Amino acid sequence: MKKSKLISAQEAASEFIFDGMTVAIGGFFHSPSYAITHEIIRQRKAHLTICQPSFNEHADQLIGAGCVDRIISSYVWMEVFGPLYCFRRAMEKQIPHKIEMEDYTNFAVMARYLAGSLGIPYIPIHSMKGSDMMKYRAWHGESKAIQMKDPFGSGQDHVLVPALKPDVGYFHCQRADEEGNSQMWGIWGDMPWSMRASNKVIVSCEEIITREQTGRDPNRTILPGYKVVAVVHAPFGAHPKHCQGYYDVDRDFIFKYIRESKNEDDWKKYMDEWVYGVSDRYEYAKKYIDAFGMKKFLGLKAKDMMSTSVNYGF
Amino acid sequence: MTSDYTKFTLPEMMAVAAAREIRDGERVLIGTGLPLLGAYLAQKTHAPEMVAIYESGAIDCKPIVTPFSVADSVLSPGSAMQGGLIEALGIVHAGEVDLAFLGGAQIDKFGNLNTHVIGDYWKPKVRFAGSGGSNDMGTGCRRTVVMIQHQKQRFPEKVDFVTTPGYFGGGAEREKYGFFGKGPSAVISTLAVLRFDPETKEMYLASYHPGITVAQIKENTGWDLKIAADVHETERPSPELIRILREECDPTGVFLKKR
Repeated sequence: MKKSKLISAQEAASEFIFDGMTVAIGGFFHSPSYAITHEIIRQRKAHLTICQPSFNEHADQLIGAGCVDRIISSYVWMEVFGPLYCFRRAMEKQIPHKIEMEDYTNFAVMARYLAGSLGIPYIPIHSMKGSDMMKYRAWHGESKAIQMKDPFGSGQDHVLVPALKPDVGYFHCQRADEEGNSQMWGIWGDMPWSMRASNKVIVSCEEIITREQTGRDPNRTILPGYKVVAVVHAPFGAHPKHCQGYYDVDRDFIFKYIRESKNEDDWKKYMDEWVYGVSDRYEYAKKYIDAFGMKKFLGLKAKDMMSTSVNYGF
Repeated sequence: MTSDYTKFTLPEMMAVAAAREIRDGERVLIGTGLPLLGAYLAQKTHAPEMVAIYESGAIDCKPIVTPFSVADSVLSPGSAMQGGLIEALGIVHAGEVDLAFLGGAQIDKFGNLNTHVIGDYWKPKVRFAGSGGSNDMGTGCRRTVVMIQHQKQRFPEKVDFVTTPGYFGGGAEREKYGFFGKGPSAVISTLAVLRFDPETKEMYLASYHPGITVAQIKENTGWDLKIAADVHETERPSPELIRILREECDPTGVFLKKR
């Protein structure tokens, strides 16, 4: 076995995430790494540029906590659950401070990651053309997107978007080995492209498996270990979002967050309780069970719907 | 839940109207809420060959429980394929998807959609989510159907921000962009079904939902809305459609509140 990269969330955030960095946060509503997001907040990182095709409440918490200066995204909302109030307070009233958002489409952010992961400087897309996203530009200015005629003679204009190569990326998956080989199923979201585009990757996971187990189902690996600098064992690490095969989304808890984030004071109380008041995911889970009971906790556990296994023999 | 299938609510009417926009065999990108119910209703009735696609990368979904969100865990088991955003929005971008349902904060006379801001972009009165996949679908999917609450502030003559182009300023303006998508084909509001003039591309009233008057619709629209010569009541759903909608599409009442 190669050298183990298994460390704590606290160590991972302090060793690899620094003020002013551009950070790719993985996950499309399914399986974001709250384990790392909360650690960033506890360590009071600042001036981050955060990237994700479609953000939800973990961006809200990072924004409210003052960690974020800039957002590269297409969407910051809670989908059917409702708005994100820290995001709105920041965009509408500059609370806790002014933030900027470089507005793209969901696909455009993916295209930027794709270019970043392939080592090409830009990529042409159809999206955004003619929309006001082409008119309004934040700190990227001219470099946000450039409309150009197809040099191969189709006669069409395309929008070129620049490669996005974040300093560091982090995501949560079902299982990884200590070398960082990461296996994920269910909704991949922006993975693996966001992580392949990042210079370094932190992975948090529900389970640590052996390198031998990884090799038994290598098609399930979405990111090879060489990209990964830290592996964090974080069961319940995506709560209140879901992690396919482990636990379902906790709608009550998400509605509680929306309710309590409506005004700043209640939001601060929520954060003191659920983020600043716990030191890691174990304490968080313990606190959850104390507050809502073991029955509720176990009620989130996923049902067994096993796939059939395949033969990798030769 | 009432078993009187001869009576129906406006949300149920909208879900049925959404179902009618789907043709058999189409690849349809569906969101949550009423479009989702409409899509399942279509699949269970006139469009069994429909391929249901979710932005989250689930293709040909057959969930056994009503999904609450486009990234719900119930979408994966039973799907023909589960990928990520590139798998779903990539095929949208390639022009392989026939129809997408969209929503928004505002829609204007020429079907342009705004999901960004009310007021000035730099000093927004209200900041909304942003595009998400809306612009990708509006440019890539062959056609779109918009579902939206019918209120004057949501139907301005011109949107505050063009997130997802409809027909821009009307006429042939959209064509010069060369999108795979040909633009919105219908708007299903809480009051009516609206369509677009084939020449001018201006939105007009095609049918009013049962119990709604033309005057009410005009009052709630921010420009002088044109009315189709054959304007009529939106076709009422048969009791059988309402039964399927309630009992088979949303049995736990996730989107259609239990009464």
